[in-house]
Amino acid sequence: MAPPPPQSNRSPSPSQPSGKSEVSDLKLQLRQLAGSRAPGTDDSKRDLFKKVISNMTIGIDVSSLFGEMVMCSATSDIVLKKMCYLYVGNYAKVNPDLALLTINFLQRDCKDQDPMIRGLALRSLCSLRVANLVEYLVGPLGSGLKDNNSYVRTVAVIGVLKLYHISATTCIDADFPETLKHLMLNDQDTQVVANCLSALQEIWTLESTTSEEAARERENLHSKPYVYYFLNRIKEFSEWAQCLVMELVAKYIPSDNSEIFDIMNLLEDRLQHANGAVVLATTKVFLHLTLSMADVHQQVYERIKAPLLTQVSSGSPEQSYAILSHLHLLVMRAPYIFSSDYKHFYCQYNEPSYVKKLKLEMLTAVANESNTYEIVTELCEYAANVDIPIARESIRAVGKIALQQYDVNAIVDRLLQFLEMEKDYVTSEALVLVKDLLRKYPQWSQDCIAVVGNISSNNVQEPKAKAALIWMLGEYSQDMHDAPYVLESLVENWDEEHSAEVRLHLLTAVMKCFFKRPPETQKALGAALAAGLADFHQDVHDRALFYYRLLQYNVSVAESVVNPPKQAVSVFADTQSSEVKDRIFDEFNSLSVVYQKPSYMFTDKEHRGTLEFSDELGNLSINAETGDSVVPAQRVEENDKDLLLSTTEKDDVRDPGSNGSAYNAPSYNGSVPSATSQPLADLAFSSTGATGQAPAPGLAIDDLLGLDFSVGTATTPSPPPLTLNPKAVLDPGTFQQKWRQLPISLSEEYSLSPLGIASLVTPNALLRHMQSHSIQCIASGGQSPNFKFFFFAQKAEEASIYLVECIINTSSAKSQIKIKADDQSSSQAFSTLFQSALSKFGLP
Amino acid sequence: MPPLMAIEFLCRVADVINGYLGGLNEDSIKDNFVIVYELLDEMIDNGFPLTTEPNILQEMIAPPNIVSKVLSVVTGNSSNVSDTLPGSTASCVPWRTADPKYANNEVYVDLVEQMDATINRDGVLVKCEINGEVQVNSHITGLPDLTLSFANPSILDDVRFHPCVRFRPWESNQILSFVPPDGQFKLMNYRVRKLKSTPIYVKPQLTSDGGICRLNVMVGMRNDPGKTVDSVNVQFQLPPCILSADLTSTHGTVNILSNKTCTWSIGRIPKDKAPSMSGTLVLETGLERLHVFPTFQVDFRIMGVALSGLQIDKLDLKTVPYRFYKGFRALTRAGEFEVRS
Repeated sequence: MAPPPPQSNRSPSPSQPSGKSEVSDLKLQLRQLAGSRAPGTDDSKRDLFKKVISNMTIGIDVSSLFGEMVMCSATSDIVLKKMCYLYVGNYAKVNPDLALLTINFLQRDCKDQDPMIRGLALRSLCSLRVANLVEYLVGPLGSGLKDNNSYVRTVAVIGVLKLYHISATTCIDADFPETLKHLMLNDQDTQVVANCLSALQEIWTLESTTSEEAARERENLHSKPYVYYFLNRIKEFSEWAQCLVMELVAKYIPSDNSEIFDIMNLLEDRLQHANGAVVLATTKVFLHLTLSMADVHQQVYERIKAPLLTQVSSGSPEQSYAILSHLHLLVMRAPYIFSSDYKHFYCQYNEPSYVKKLKLEMLTAVANESNTYEIVTELCEYAANVDIPIARESIRAVGKIALQQYDVNAIVDRLLQFLEMEKDYVTSEALVLVKDLLRKYPQWSQDCIAVVGNISSNNVQEPKAKAALIWMLGEYSQDMHDAPYVLESLVENWDEEHSAEVRLHLLTAVMKCFFKRPPETQKALGAALAAGLADFHQDVHDRALFYYRLLQYNVSVAESVVNPPKQAVSVFADTQSSEVKDRIFDEFNSLSVVYQKPSYMFTDKEHRGTLEFSDELGNLSINAETGDSVVPAQRVEENDKDLLLSTTEKDDVRDPGSNGSAYNAPSYNGSVPSATSQPLADLAFSSTGATGQAPAPGLAIDDLLGLDFSVGTATTPSPPPLTLNPKAVLDPGTFQQKWRQLPISLSEEYSLSPLGIASLVTPNALLRHMQSHSIQCIASGGQSPNFKFFFFAQKAEEASIYLVECIINTSSAKSQIKIKADDQSSSQAFSTLFQSALSKFGLP
Repeated sequence: MPPLMAIEFLCRVADVINGYLGGLNEDSIKDNFVIVYELLDEMIDNGFPLTTEPNILQEMIAPPNIVSKVLSVVTGNSSNVSDTLPGSTASCVPWRTADPKYANNEVYVDLVEQMDATINRDGVLVKCEINGEVQVNSHITGLPDLTLSFANPSILDDVRFHPCVRFRPWESNQILSFVPPDGQFKLMNYRVRKLKSTPIYVKPQLTSDGGICRLNVMVGMRNDPGKTVDSVNVQFQLPPCILSADLTSTHGTVNILSNKTCTWSIGRIPKDKAPSMSGTLVLETGLERLHVFPTFQVDFRIMGVALSGLQIDKLDLKTVPYRFYKGFRALTRAGEFEVRS
């Protein structure tokens, strides 16, 4: 244990309170001490105060001691005063009546002869934040602003701001902003000046929406006299106040170039400041002042480089991260500035991964002809790193550098080495990169294909990598000897492939392969199209159908659609528009840079999205338990229904022909027989001459496809209808976590029946109704006309969960639904289910 | 809100509380919550950072040290808050206590350097850099004005100063001219890039065959810096695919913790022969060779040498007519010193 503070060395440190009896005990002791003038009283008081405050900190209500505490605080001991102020400040908010009691003694302390007590009392007085007591603030604040001690003035200035937030009109009526302005321009103490500046900025910004004068005053702050006044005193300001002044200067628009140079000369030594915040604020001033002068702007980059790099390597990881995100922004604008300092961005073993990730991004951004070799060598070291996410990131970084066109030759070799490393995540990442490389540099196909061909598709599990491999199999099937057979075996395992992306790629790859090597691929193509048509994923189904009809129409047209001659991709789309980047640059030295988003994206309500959700969930009533207790009868009934349902479900599963009523999968029963009944007679196969190789005579396509179709309809089971687990459980914590993690898979708007609207008097009515459809509510809230619900449901016999946010407006009879699901592919089905359940609400 | 302002401020709060309580953890804060409250009260108000200079804070709120304890027992005045407000809040050298008095006037200047280096598996120095600090401990009566100059300031790549350092003399003549705060403070940080060699070498060798990996690490002096290298320590994380490890060393002790962190404490490198550690690592069944290679983190300390080569030329005192004692020291430590294998 650390040494206890001096005052407690005669008694044990504050003990853990045992409850009520102790509070009354304390009360008694305080009362005894209150009137005492005996020597040593202060020490015993201190011990008691400490106990009271430690009780307060751990959440025990000691507000009943208020009177005694105030009585005891009539002392000259500052520590006692401080503790008492702390106590008062904590309880005044919830106990305005008690606060009135304290006003008197605080006001008296505001006139104490010790400036420290005056200041502390004034600070506590302003921190009470009780609206009906503001009238008592004006007097002490007024005299505090005129106090001859700067400490009191500093406190009083902030006090004005606090007053403004409690009651803006009182503050304006007392003409405090004007007083502050006077102080700001005349006070000797720079801390007072700085506090005036920040208080006025805040007040005028808030006032400017209603008052033109305030708006004008705020603009004035950026005018030459003010800016020069602050700049001339810059060295006297504390480091934090310097940051404030710099922020102001960055907004100043100088009238000519000589002014710019004067300011920069004045501020140059700030770049050498030990405080990173000052350095970054100065950097912002420099960058913004010189925007109009291109060549000076470049020199500024050179000048700020060394100080910023020093900041990266000294200081805590958090500091490094903040600085690195700013460097990343700069390097986007001027890639060459750090090109010779790339070693600063080498990752160190001990660094937290968020710093490492940013450093990898920096390394990608600074790579150019001269340093690519070293950087890529370094990145390859990380690929064997113990930290797997970083290993992946570094492989991606290698790929990105390759796409920037430097030294591609060496990089391709490295990537191919990755493929041979026999680590699944390395292989996966490398495959995705090789695919992107080939799209840009088709000339490397020979080398790459030779290596890629050796990779067994069984060893690749990640969807992205598998899709990349399949793409290459399709695209380069003429060069890969066993491409058709690999694809065929993949098609055979169609049902085991869970990712729709992979299935889509597989369809296209088989098509491409078919155009290049028809005889070998025919069988696979038929099987793939059949499996695709029977697929329950809408996109896969549509693509298969599209290919099928395209082939039916004209094979050469199909080829020109599916496998047209391609041009190499010259530039991959940038994820962020330059407008957004400029916007972030304008907000240099703010969180926008760290988040890599302009501020409106995270401050405006509509952009905040899920962040908001966590607040709301707290306010909404949690219905997870109450739902059960309210409707026990329904539960039983529901269980009975469940038994019935499950028998019919089994029938559904066995009979692929009849789709469960709950699932509105597109029915092929209409289209497929029509296709088979006209066995592709009009499929202009003679034109396959265009592919350069006529199919063997025995393999007529109608035969082939016809066969496959019958097989397809007979063997591929239609997707099982979606049924929900009626007894799904999910605790609110997991719900919140999932809601944050999952992307929105569906967002729809339904209209509600008038009957439903009529029944929606209280949220509970809907909850019970939805529960009978196995959709549970976790939270609900709102008042007419707007209701908001969070539902969840679970797939029967599976852990897959659906989360729903449902906003119902009763006046427009509309409901907005957002669905998130563990299994994205079935969210459409769930949506239908949800809608049907909702539409039945209120029906008899 | 500038992000660095928040982070720097939090770091400063941590430093100050650390300085006051001699440690920053849950217990020390719980035991001294009154002081922590008082400190935070002075350091920030309504979201604006106010006084963060440790010197001034110590005048407003006395730290809970032994001196003040003794004082309170002797004098019976146990307030840990000084009776008057610090005068310097209004002075033009806000970092300095108003008017300290000392019987012995003395200034100690320490060069403390940290060497960050990365060495790849072929023993090539990928990156080597020194981050140094000039720490000053000054106890001088009155308002002294000091100048400190270096014999070879040109080797410094980038410098950062305590607010007390005047910028112009540095810019024109590379002289540090300053009115020091009272007591211990960091006068300057500097960075020296592109160093060519490290004082010690660490050579790890890993050869794997048939599910067994042989590890051999050699440590030795490279360029004798003239002073002893001590507190040498090699630490590394065994990859997760290793089932068991059996390592022995010719010098020092080897410790393997349950989280697979392996520490080899060597201490002082003996003059006559280079210490080595060797042994076998058993890999997971089914694994032939090792794919993930550990990074060795090396720790060492050299007293009496600043490896960057920076040398203090002279320290002068102006304005105050006292004789004073000057002391200089240097120390180099390993910072992020990594050897890849």
